[in-house]
Amino acid sequence: MADASAAGAGGIRIANVGHTYRPPRGRPVTALEEVSLEVAENEFLALLGPSGCGKSTLLYLIGGFLPIESGGISVGGTPVAAPGPDRGVVFQHFALFPWKTVRENVLYGLEKQRLPKAEREARAAAFIEMVHLDGFEDSYPSQLSGGMKQRVAIARTLAMDPGTLLMDEPFGALDAQTRSLMHEELLAILKRTAKTVVFVTHDVQEAVLLADRVAVMTARPGRIKTVVDVADVGGAADAIRDPRFVEKVDFLWGQVRDEALAAQKGGAG
Amino acid sequence: MGMRFEQDGIGAAALRLLAGTGSVIALLAAWEVLARAGVVSEFLLPRFSDVVGRIWEDALGGVLFVQIGLTVWRAVLGFALAGLVGIVVGVVMARNRGANWFFDPIVSIGFPSPKIAFLPVFILWFGLDDSSKVLMTVFAAVFPVIVATAAGTEGVDKYLIWSARNAGASERDILHEIVLPAALPQIMTGLQVALPISLIITIVSEMVMGGEGLGGNMIQAGRFADSLGVFAGIVQIAIAGYVLIKGMEILRRRLLAWHQETQQISTF
Repeated sequence: MADASAAGAGGIRIANVGHTYRPPRGRPVTALEEVSLEVAENEFLALLGPSGCGKSTLLYLIGGFLPIESGGISVGGTPVAAPGPDRGVVFQHFALFPWKTVRENVLYGLEKQRLPKAEREARAAAFIEMVHLDGFEDSYPSQLSGGMKQRVAIARTLAMDPGTLLMDEPFGALDAQTRSLMHEELLAILKRTAKTVVFVTHDVQEAVLLADRVAVMTARPGRIKTVVDVADVGGAADAIRDPRFVEKVDFLWGQVRDEALAAQKGGAG
Repeated sequence: MGMRFEQDGIGAAALRLLAGTGSVIALLAAWEVLARAGVVSEFLLPRFSDVVGRIWEDALGGVLFVQIGLTVWRAVLGFALAGLVGIVVGVVMARNRGANWFFDPIVSIGFPSPKIAFLPVFILWFGLDDSSKVLMTVFAAVFPVIVATAAGTEGVDKYLIWSARNAGASERDILHEIVLPAALPQIMTGLQVALPISLIITIVSEMVMGGEGLGGNMIQAGRFADSLGVFAGIVQIAIAGYVLIKGMEILRRRLLAWHQETQQISTF
């Protein structure tokens, strides 16, 4: 089967997945419908779409945080049933433990994995250094800026050495300069330790810059509208002036814009 | 808060203390002046200095420490039990639908009702000794802890729990390592409400039931028309209450060193 080999040993297979939210009061909302997608091992896939299109829902289904109601998802050939450290998540609002210091936040997952103490300490120190936060090991998250908090969150997730990285608009809350620095850092980290990445964003330029492929989702209920290969452009900060880069961004912008307009109409009706 | 002082040693510390307690000192001075001026009789308002003298006398004889110790022991024991029961019930209420169905109406009725009205029932059931005073205190102080703990536990950010689950934490780990620490600021607020209630209920119970302790002594002094003793009792209660509340504030700052509120205080 061609599609099975495309997903590879460590890849992600999403087949005919749907999801409906049923709030205790109010009407059920269909967030996803018949979504099928494959991400190859060590591929960087960006999920792009208007807000409310279900891209985060899809990410959290892969993470195992939400029950898979229809269809199936497998990661590395294993069907997803529950959250696990093989799929490291970086949450939109960092989700750091505010009562733990930077070091304790990074150590938490390593303790849960029952790594020997010396290795835990060494790994935590190495990953804190990797995101340039050495010197802030004993700070609490409330003492850090937004960019620093997100670097802690990334270090915490990477320290677990997951084969798959699931990122939910991780740089959405950061200012433009910090975001640009974070892009470079993320790409540098991924160059050193290859991982399969699913990256949710509504920033078209960010998607093209970072990803190998960009999947555009439709307005709710979310489906995959189109998948665009962008591996040949991006990857460096000066790539944004490349005409081929601009062309891909413009094309994707058009695709997302249509869906955003459709979402507005749907919201009004 | 409000006024700022340079941090340059003992002088500044004394000045800060003075600024924090200035109104109390002014009130006590006014009391002394009014009593000395003879506007009202010594019986209705004894001099503050005489009240201090009486407390000093009791302190020298050792009686004072026994009385304060008894009252504080009952209040703190009642408070501790209320804290323990309140936290357990609050967590269970927030996490278990059946428990919530059972406890929610009871707490809704119990929280605003005057618990001291149950005192005759407690006397009937548990007699006049320590146990009924302590249980009365537990009963009155438990409600704010339940309500604060339930609210704090329910309000824990979903993504913190997901984040722990992602790291491989078990559901038990999540309760101890994530939910309780995340709810701690609100639990501490509940405890801070429960502490003065504990002291008040203990003293009122002592007043009604009699026997040893600050409340019982004050009622006794009143019966013997010993106005100096009554006022001494009021001052002793005020001091005991102040020390307990300050201790609780220090505990909060220690436990919540990571919390934003604490860092704002410490940078002051």
